[in-house]
Amino acid sequence: MNRFDYIRPATVSEAVAAASVPGSAYLAAGTNLIDLMKGGVVRPERLVDVSHLPGLDGIEHFPDGGLRIGALVRNADLAHDADFAARFPAVAEALLSGASPQLRNAATVGGNLLQRTRCAYFYDVASACNKRTPGAGCDARGGQTRLQAVLGWSEACIATHPSDFCVPLVALDAIVEIEGRSGRRDVPLESFYRLPGDTPERESVLEAGELILAVRLPGTAAAFAGHARYLKVRDRTSYAFAIVSAAAALQIESGRILQARLALGGVALKPWRTRAAEDSMAGEITGPDTFRRAADIALADAQPSGDNAFKIELARRIVVRALSQAAVGTPKRMPALPASPFAAVSGAITYV
Amino acid sequence: MSRYDVNGRLYAAEPQPGECLRSFLRSLDVFGVKKGCDAGDCGACTVHIDGKPFHSCLVPAFRGDGCKITTIEGLAETGEWHPMQKAFHDAQAFQCGFCAAGMIMTAVTFTDAQRADLPHALKGNLCRCTGYRSINDALHGTCNIEPDVAGNALGASLANPFTSEILTGRARYTMDIAVANLLHLKVLRSPHAHARITGIDRSQALSIPGVVAVYTWEDVPKRLFSSALHEDHLVDPDDMMLLDDVVRFVGQRVAAVVAETEAAAEAGCRALEVEYEILPAVFDPVVAMQPGAPQLHAKDHLSNSGNIFCTLAGEIGDVAQGFAEAFAIHEQTYSTTRAQHVHLETHGSIAWKGADNRWHVRTSSQAPFAAQKKLAYVMGIPARDLHVFTERVGGGFGGKQEMVSEDLVLFATIKLNRPVSWEWTREEEFIAATTRHQMTTKVKIGARKDGTITAMDVEVVSNTGAYGGHGSETLGAAMASPIAAYRCKNKKGIGHAVYTNMTPAGGFRGYGASQTTFAIEQAIDELAVLLGIDPFAMRRRNVVMPGDNIESIWQEPSDASFGSHGIDECLDIVERELAKGNGIVKPEGADWLEGQGVALAMLECGPPTEHRSGAEMRLLPNGTYHLACGSTEMGNGITTAHKQIAAHILGTRIEDIDIINADTDRTPYDTGTFASTGTVVGGKAVHLAAEAMMADILAFASRHTGVALDQCRLDNDAVFCGNRRLSLSELHAAGTAVDHRFSVNRRAYLSPRTIAFNVQGVRLAVQRVTGEIRVLHSVHAADIGKPINPMQCRGQLDGAVAMGYGWALIENMVHDDAGRMVNPQLRNCRIPSFADTPHTDVFFANTIDAIGPLGAKSQGECGINPVAPAVANAIANATGLRFAHLPFTPDRLFARLAAHS
Repeated sequence: MNRFDYIRPATVSEAVAAASVPGSAYLAAGTNLIDLMKGGVVRPERLVDVSHLPGLDGIEHFPDGGLRIGALVRNADLAHDADFAARFPAVAEALLSGASPQLRNAATVGGNLLQRTRCAYFYDVASACNKRTPGAGCDARGGQTRLQAVLGWSEACIATHPSDFCVPLVALDAIVEIEGRSGRRDVPLESFYRLPGDTPERESVLEAGELILAVRLPGTAAAFAGHARYLKVRDRTSYAFAIVSAAAALQIESGRILQARLALGGVALKPWRTRAAEDSMAGEITGPDTFRRAADIALADAQPSGDNAFKIELARRIVVRALSQAAVGTPKRMPALPASPFAAVSGAITYV
Repeated sequence: MSRYDVNGRLYAAEPQPGECLRSFLRSLDVFGVKKGCDAGDCGACTVHIDGKPFHSCLVPAFRGDGCKITTIEGLAETGEWHPMQKAFHDAQAFQCGFCAAGMIMTAVTFTDAQRADLPHALKGNLCRCTGYRSINDALHGTCNIEPDVAGNALGASLANPFTSEILTGRARYTMDIAVANLLHLKVLRSPHAHARITGIDRSQALSIPGVVAVYTWEDVPKRLFSSALHEDHLVDPDDMMLLDDVVRFVGQRVAAVVAETEAAAEAGCRALEVEYEILPAVFDPVVAMQPGAPQLHAKDHLSNSGNIFCTLAGEIGDVAQGFAEAFAIHEQTYSTTRAQHVHLETHGSIAWKGADNRWHVRTSSQAPFAAQKKLAYVMGIPARDLHVFTERVGGGFGGKQEMVSEDLVLFATIKLNRPVSWEWTREEEFIAATTRHQMTTKVKIGARKDGTITAMDVEVVSNTGAYGGHGSETLGAAMASPIAAYRCKNKKGIGHAVYTNMTPAGGFRGYGASQTTFAIEQAIDELAVLLGIDPFAMRRRNVVMPGDNIESIWQEPSDASFGSHGIDECLDIVERELAKGNGIVKPEGADWLEGQGVALAMLECGPPTEHRSGAEMRLLPNGTYHLACGSTEMGNGITTAHKQIAAHILGTRIEDIDIINADTDRTPYDTGTFASTGTVVGGKAVHLAAEAMMADILAFASRHTGVALDQCRLDNDAVFCGNRRLSLSELHAAGTAVDHRFSVNRRAYLSPRTIAFNVQGVRLAVQRVTGEIRVLHSVHAADIGKPINPMQCRGQLDGAVAMGYGWALIENMVHDDAGRMVNPQLRNCRIPSFADTPHTDVFFANTIDAIGPLGAKSQGECGINPVAPAVANAIANATGLRFAHLPFTPDRLFARLAAHS
């Protein structure tokens, strides 16, 4: 680990000022940053510790059914907030499908949004990586591409965004509240992340020193609570990043879809919302035909970035399954993981 | 100065900049906090901060300031055990015990909802030994142990004698000691698969504060050796040096830096400037065998065989004639993957010079005696000046049948005359420790219409990687028992172990036989399908039976024979259980396809080469016994089994026998604990020593009392000589008075070797849309003779079967075209977690072995072998498609399933 300065500001504005100095990084729980620093993958010159800043660790509920989640709210506290889980079940399901209880006790909402890709070439300091060292090249191209992107990638970077949490958030119109030197601004999560293009080292629209204060979910998003699922395919039953995941949310009246929401994880450098696919379902009858058409639209622009064409077909199938499960209705209880000795007892299946 | 409240004790201390809580707590000698991965994946370091569990390796140490930190040592606040510790004790929910502290610290925080949903709740804790079954038992209040009663030791499920230490954090694993004046060693590893080192500039590294020394190939003894540990060092090629000027795989040691702190040693490694001349590399063993392929090792002119380290070939009968007689012939190429052992305790050792002027090496090894011989040779010092020992070892599985850390620490400690320690990281385990051999196996097999096999022809190519340790022995195993398991007059085989620029392969539970079993057991099923014969019937018709020659492709007489034979019973059990079912139905929907599969495996108990063990017993002044045996306890339960064997012979409780093991100064010689020899060889030595102990006691008692020997008998803690009762402590006092020492020593040798069997049955469902596999029913039957401790034997099988499912379904070491491992973290190279591990019903055949001690046979090794082929056979049965290449991850099944549907 490199030597670094450590700063513990007392207020948000002090934090923003301190972190505006080049070479700075914010430290919240550090579950991702410390691991990266131990491996020499990132080497910040100064850490600005925000974990104790006041007023950022609350969940506020609004009369319209929406809510505001402070950036320092722990993933565990959010996932186990019964009121939150009832209104945004797909978000809770996504949170619980990721990491472990010990990690969720530490990890924060803001940190989850900003976690770095799990691309192996990013992690391996002996490999070339444009994200780590701009202009160095990308050893993932032509390397092991099984888990790499099939949407929105560029020659400079084919990595994927690892978050489960962000996938339903982006589907449900979440807003990110940001504070910077020039004041506060709101950015929809959908436009918060940047696609890699020629500058994969810039992962979000955050400017130097800008700090995430909160994530808001609008009241309209709670209207999907009855038909919302998060579905994740991975190499192992639990504790693995998604090969492909999908958040599907529907509003259904008399078998007909009023509104649909759909986002994919594990396919691009950002959680991938697909509005064209959503629009294609509006007014249609729930069922395989509607869902297959939506899946085809969602993946219409997908291109393998290597030997990973399988992900495109897999993603189509996951979309169909997620939408089908959402159409059936949100389960009352979080289903057990499948291969476990208890799965059969509960009889439930999910997480493919 | 900050103040840290750890387990109610206040420490005024300042962590190093950037230090995590895990390493800070250990620097305070709180050794119950374990390092398994240092990346938040395994949970071994779990501690409570203000009552909540966290991975302490990902918490900045200073965040603990002002908080209440609780580790396993502080769990029993009032001195009474926490109920969870008691539950882990009663269920014996551990084997090596390395994960237990973290597992308990996580489990004690569970709410009722979490307890009802363990697959989610235990996501952050990995165990490699148990298969999680006993952990599940602990969390449901199941008691798996029986009381320790004099005279009842054999066949009793007694608790591990080190349970208390393990569950309270007091057990000392290899790195769990504070050593004054300790230096730390780290190595720089090669980023290239094949290169000549043309220069190393060490000046920058030496200028870093705290760096004491830098060693390169120029500094070390030029003695070639193999890091593999065997009784006979000639079975492994002497093809490596402590540090070499040619690197042959990504991850090979380039230079060692010794410093006052680990951080300084790491900084020193980063500051080394190395110039490499890149050499052409080869990774595919088939390519490596071709003329003109890059050569790994210089060969002499007499034996220039290129990269082929070893070829084994043979034929019995007339294979061509056998195929001519066949009604159906199956031919297919199968392949298996590399795998890492992932013992949760990484490699590591500490060396120092003692007050006795000898060198002491504390290590995590399955074979300290073999390591002692090898270290003495490499360093050029007499073995008598060297003491190599273990205390608690956190798992092995074959990965510690290898001398990979002891050599450099001993070298540095001799050079610097200060204690030196080296603890491997998890990433080093993945890129630089040995793996299972990747093998490609071509099988051609023919049978008559009635199913009788008429010919078998097997070709194996084994990728031994950059160094050849275990290359010939695993190839020998690959060409032996899986082929010998079937009665057939005409058998032929050829196998090559080939050098490539991959991480060196080594010993791994199943040891070469796993790979061929994977191929042959699928071929048997394919042949059965061709002939329309049931897979069980096909195996019953052809499996080797008492009276048959137990032979593979060689006609030489073998020392393997049936001390007992339970394969037919194992097949019956698995068939019966699968037919009976367990009530678990496949998930609903036409996309889920269901199938079942079976496979068997045969194991010759012990390696074909020499293996020997010694045991020493003494009667102590208080009337209890001391037992010393050279075997390593690494979670295999061998100390419990050895105590039970001795207690059975002596008619006493295991509590009345203290034990020490795996220590070159304090125990008799033992080749090493591998190849499933702990019970059959080490146990035999204990058996003989205990009998000698009894004979010695009775002979002295007879002389002392003047009562005829046949009127003397041992009864637990006393001898009866006629009607006179003498307690053993009285007898000891009487002996001491006349200089009788009550001390015996016996040795045991391996030959002849008996034979064990395992049969695995699997019913599973395959999702044809996603390729997901759901195991619905898992049944394992083992013919291991008389189980000395049924609970432990079951635990060994639970763990072996879980490891088999991991190999078949999950584990995947991915290397790119440059020979670099792409996923060297537990997060990305996964082993089964609680949620991945199906419950397995384990059964024992009712056999008593005539060769093994007290009727017991090997049980730790072979359970893994039939699992992957049984899974493959079940997938084929479900889908109609044969998947012949591991692993069966969804993306690899999915494409062909999609095409098929």
